[in-house]
Amino acid sequence: MRLAGRLGGAALSLVMVAVLGFFLFRVVPGDPVVSMTRGRPTTAATQEALRAQFGLDRPVHEQFWSYFTGLLRGELGTSFTFRRPVADVILERLGPTLLLVGTSTLIAVGLGLWLGVRAAWRRNSALDRVTTGVSLTLWAVPTFWLGMLLMMVTGDLFPSRGMRDTDTPPDFLSQALDVGHHLVLPSVTLVAVVCAEYALVMRSSLLEELHAPYLTTARAKGLRDDVVRRRHAVPNAVLPAITLVFLRVGLVVSGAITTETVFSWPGLGLLFYDALTGPDYFLLQGLLVVTAGAVVVMNLLADLLHGVLDPRVKVV
Amino acid sequence: MSAGLQLNNLTVHYGHKRVVDDVTLAVAPGQTLGLAGESGSGKSTVAMSVLRLLPGTARVDGEVLLDGEDVRTMSWGRLRAVRWASASIVFQGAMHSLNPVRRVGEQIAEPMRLHGTEGSVAALLEQVELPRDKARAYPHELSGGQKQRVMIAMALACRPRLVIADEPTTALDVIVQAQVLAVLTRLVAEQDLGLLMISHDLSVLAATCDELAVMHQGRLVERGRARQVVADPRHPHTAALTAAFPVIGDPAHRWAEPAVPAEPLLRVRDLTVDYGRTRAVDGVDLEVGRGEIVALVGQSGSGKTTLARAIMGLRRPSSGRVIFDGAEVPRSGRALKAFRRQVQLVLQDPASALNPRHTVFDAVAEGLRVHGLRGDEEALVTAAVERAELRPANLYLEALPHELSGGQQQRVVIAGALVLGPRLLVADEPVASLDASVRGEVVALLLRLRRELGLASLLITHDLGLAWQIADRVAVMHQGKIVEQGSVEQVLLTPSHDYTRALVRAVPALGPGV
Repeated sequence: MRLAGRLGGAALSLVMVAVLGFFLFRVVPGDPVVSMTRGRPTTAATQEALRAQFGLDRPVHEQFWSYFTGLLRGELGTSFTFRRPVADVILERLGPTLLLVGTSTLIAVGLGLWLGVRAAWRRNSALDRVTTGVSLTLWAVPTFWLGMLLMMVTGDLFPSRGMRDTDTPPDFLSQALDVGHHLVLPSVTLVAVVCAEYALVMRSSLLEELHAPYLTTARAKGLRDDVVRRRHAVPNAVLPAITLVFLRVGLVVSGAITTETVFSWPGLGLLFYDALTGPDYFLLQGLLVVTAGAVVVMNLLADLLHGVLDPRVKVV
Repeated sequence: MSAGLQLNNLTVHYGHKRVVDDVTLAVAPGQTLGLAGESGSGKSTVAMSVLRLLPGTARVDGEVLLDGEDVRTMSWGRLRAVRWASASIVFQGAMHSLNPVRRVGEQIAEPMRLHGTEGSVAALLEQVELPRDKARAYPHELSGGQKQRVMIAMALACRPRLVIADEPTTALDVIVQAQVLAVLTRLVAEQDLGLLMISHDLSVLAATCDELAVMHQGRLVERGRARQVVADPRHPHTAALTAAFPVIGDPAHRWAEPAVPAEPLLRVRDLTVDYGRTRAVDGVDLEVGRGEIVALVGQSGSGKTTLARAIMGLRRPSSGRVIFDGAEVPRSGRALKAFRRQVQLVLQDPASALNPRHTVFDAVAEGLRVHGLRGDEEALVTAAVERAELRPANLYLEALPHELSGGQQQRVVIAGALVLGPRLLVADEPVASLDASVRGEVVALLLRLRRELGLASLLITHDLGLAWQIADRVAVMHQGKIVEQGSVEQVLLTPSHDYTRALVRAVPALGPGV
């Protein structure tokens, strides 16, 4: 029952996102055809032809219907700037983003949670002060500034633009190494920002558990301090952090906009940036649906996982 | 080298604050010692010092000898080996002493694996009279009494020679408390263990321990055979503690004046409340007269709180009527709000009932503001606060809850009810979370309010002693039904229903001949 409820809620959110995505870009000012043809001499007839091509001359409800049924078939319309189906463009950019976000999330989760646990367990120790101080700083610093700083500091050590060089040999190993090399700076930037948040949340969550009576029980049993932490304190304290991690992963798909733009990483973030500067309405609409969908799905996953980790929450 | 626990001149400081002051006591295997005291008396600090569980900020002086070895000077490795194997603790497990995300079987088995003890979880559960499949349960799936049995099974897992029980039955119902105490004392006697039992409740200690020690402000003020200490307390503090646990049937503990039959203020007729498919209140008839104090007693889960909520209009009944002062209680709107002004609620735990950031003045004045009562707010609040015996009021009005004692906080809650000039007080366990010495004062306050203001009370409690102390009539609730009601003497001294008899029997007896 509960599971059905959760799934239904998620499905409803997705529909709302789709509807919102359509109307949001209908109410923003600006004529898409004008911006599409900006800087080029056009006649009224060409503009009309373009309108017809993108279906902009039809009544709004008809446009919505074809948009919505298209969505159900996995079609997101045609991009003005790329002159290709939006779904194809997004799909093509999904890989690089997943690579970047996946790598940095794995590192950030491991490092952030570990640091948070250590810092809370030895509150006011040197490690705690350093972790908290550095985390707060990284969290406060603008991402683009951090990225550019990294570029300047590392100099020529790592490539700072794109995902691969054009002159790399086509065999798999060389290609993989090249991508890995390019991945260093953007993922370090993303890890720094996300990891700081995880560390702070994990720290405060564990601090709240620190005086829980069941930890006294565990100590009284004769358990070593690190066993008390690992086996009793962390499984309880990690629960709020889990929700945040998943929510963040959903957001990071779009939240990597600054990082990808600074390092010209050819992922969804950069695509978002390009679509905004266009502006490319169908592309923006598609990106909105995909990234908002990612948040909804991740949130659902967090709920389900929470139910597995916390026996008090019954999901199924 | 003597077996068991020996504390010599134990003194514990937090900073400059001395919380345990020169305590010397011993518990040998086979002996049972009760350590009594109010919150803040240092009794739990004594318990924690035995396994060196006090926080690093505590300074411990004196000797803590466990089987002849000083716990204070042990290496960490030795200390870990001694913990749970030589002495174990039954914490107040009904609350939060079990890890909520691990199965209880794992938690019982954990120290056995650690200390290499033979045995099975199933056998341990059997000892505490729990079915063996409960090993797979998580703590939240167990009742308070079952959790406490798990704590006892866990404490006995490594066959220690000494068990320390720290408030093992606080927050449990009388009947469950009696069962848990029976299991604990049986096992301690069977296995010839030493037992150090800590409680604020002298009657619990007197029922389970041979010897009794009383702590007050960190010091041991009295020590002796349990029955003797209770029957003939030497120290005034012990006397105050015994007085706080009224003996049912003892006229000296009956504070209520003989009731004059009064016309009914509140009438409940055939009231039924359902939660989904569960019938929480089942066809209840109940009356409270003007200026009458009626005690509604029963175990948790018996439906007494639901009944109170339905009476106050907080929960819509499925059927039946609630008649207040001759008129049916409105179910919604402005009329319901006006009705609520006349019926005020006093909750069990004043610390959580009060907003920690509101001053006493704000807390008391809130009701006035909610009901849009105009007039001299300050005068009304001051009068209510003084009625609740916080005198002079101006000393308290600007205080925040954490600056007040538990008894004072409960007076603030009562003042917040009084300021609206109610005619009926619904008090849900009003003294259960209070210390023995202030409990009596709050009980006396309720009686004085009745005498001076003609204020009627519906007292919801599982404490039969409290009912004996101040109630005119008692209604016994069991599984949603009122199974017996009548005058206090009639119900408590000559109970006619089986359930009432079980309730009365489960109350731990204080001293001999009662």
